[in-house]
Amino acid sequence: MERRKFIQGSLALGASAAFGSITGCINKGDEPQAPITFEPGQPTPWINWAGNHSCIPSTRLAPSSEDELVGALKSAQGVVRAVGASHSFSPVVPTDDTLIATDLLSGLVSHDPDTLQATIMAGTRMHDMGPILNSIGQAVPNMPDMDYPSIGGAVANSVHATGDQFGSMSSYVTGFKLATVTGELLECNADKNPQIFQAGRTSVGALGIMSELTLQNQASYQLTETNAIENLEDVLATIDERRKAHRHFEFFPIPYASVCITVTTDIAKPGDSNMGEDDPQAVNSLRQVFDSVSWVPVIGEGLYDKILTTALGSEAETVRTGPSYKVFPHVRVVRFREMEYTVPADAGPACIREILDTVKTKKLPMSFPMEYRYVKADDIWLSMFEGQEGCSISIHQYGDLDYKAVFAEIEPIFWKYSGRPHWGKIHTLDAKRLAQLYPRHWQDFQQVRKELDPQGRLMNQHLQHIFEA
Amino acid sequence: MSSAQPDARQIQLMTNNCLQCHTYAETGAPILGDTDQWQAIAAQGEETILKNVVEGIRGMPPLGYCSACSEEDFRVLIRFFANLPAPSDLTSKGEQ
Repeated sequence: MERRKFIQGSLALGASAAFGSITGCINKGDEPQAPITFEPGQPTPWINWAGNHSCIPSTRLAPSSEDELVGALKSAQGVVRAVGASHSFSPVVPTDDTLIATDLLSGLVSHDPDTLQATIMAGTRMHDMGPILNSIGQAVPNMPDMDYPSIGGAVANSVHATGDQFGSMSSYVTGFKLATVTGELLECNADKNPQIFQAGRTSVGALGIMSELTLQNQASYQLTETNAIENLEDVLATIDERRKAHRHFEFFPIPYASVCITVTTDIAKPGDSNMGEDDPQAVNSLRQVFDSVSWVPVIGEGLYDKILTTALGSEAETVRTGPSYKVFPHVRVVRFREMEYTVPADAGPACIREILDTVKTKKLPMSFPMEYRYVKADDIWLSMFEGQEGCSISIHQYGDLDYKAVFAEIEPIFWKYSGRPHWGKIHTLDAKRLAQLYPRHWQDFQQVRKELDPQGRLMNQHLQHIFEA
Repeated sequence: MSSAQPDARQIQLMTNNCLQCHTYAETGAPILGDTDQWQAIAAQGEETILKNVVEGIRGMPPLGYCSACSEEDFRVLIRFFANLPAPSDLTSKGEQ
């Protein structure tokens, strides 16, 4: 039986039978979730995926070559920002002036079968990158669990996946070309413009716009991913063994529940086969159960956990196997908002426990699963993993519910554990606070930024907030 | 009835963005070429579809991921997916 059907069945038989009616705010799923309305014939707005940011730029450009990109950036009026797939939850894109979309800067530029490096255009969606690299016998060593973003956007924000031995997407970049607001096209790698290379591998788009980048890949490979429902305490008690034993391990704690979803991924073995189905709507089913019982005084939490434990605990594992670029990503069609901080790896278990305890103690209206991952340390100046192995913990709220109040309750917990916020996700830190989290290279980055963009033409309101004291 | 044909640039925009979902049944998006699925959408009319594309609806993100698309790009792609006539087709047939 599909997990969603089982949960829905439990909902019908359990909650509604016990209490006679179903209440709560159930997402009908057909409401436009844009922050602004659009009328045909009026200027087309830009709106991000999560629907929490928008703008109406006076000029929209979509260069299709490096020359066009350089020209567009040099002649751009006002504040100029780049956009890829619009998947950032933080307001890194909005500008009322010039918006440069990288959609047409996509595809393979060159590759080297000996070094297993490939150069691709920065606007290439990761969704397309997998098949492109596979066609030349290559694959990135790791990929996020959704592949909608452009590779340029992913690198700008240090987008990552999970795995003790694997860094963020930025860590696989061995070089890039950067178009600047002064009309230059700079080649940057460990030997050429090394300072810009270190700053540019996680820059939040504050240095210019990448036209292409080179990735250190490996030979194409097959993976098998196993999803299972397990007891949360059992998982936390064995977390160190799991992260060492498997190529990739992560889990999704479910607020108020004693069970969680584990995702374990390793190189595929002969005979591995698919089992069960991925359910993109599972989180909506979870919400339906939560909304149905959470209102019940006193016993609501216990009932919710009982239903989930009964429903999910009986589910067989879901197994997905195949080429890495098909196994890593999952379909994401349920809109949500996300805050993520990376804390030192050793602090991960204590941090997630405190978050889950806080949700229960303060009775925060949250049912969307959280996400708990490990990422290898790197030496990229503003990477969340700079100088330390990290544990990245993500908090989500449904797209049509207020996220600010619940995120405000949880964000201070991350601060307590010296967490660094994900550049592309929601946080409230300003330049002064962020500088304290990057003591080694904050000033180095600012120096490079000011040299490349002395007039601050790439600084929208958010970038001023995070980079300018 | 002939629908508008996207040019090379619009095809690249469609490939990079729209086809991420409109060729994968598991996304729940109507599949390119599935006439039955698109008939119900086409019945809403181009203006409503355009508004839904730009603002996003259900699992479809705002702008269908395409920040490079202009209103005219969206209109051409909507006509292509939903097999809607271009205004020039209607004019030539005296339907406008």
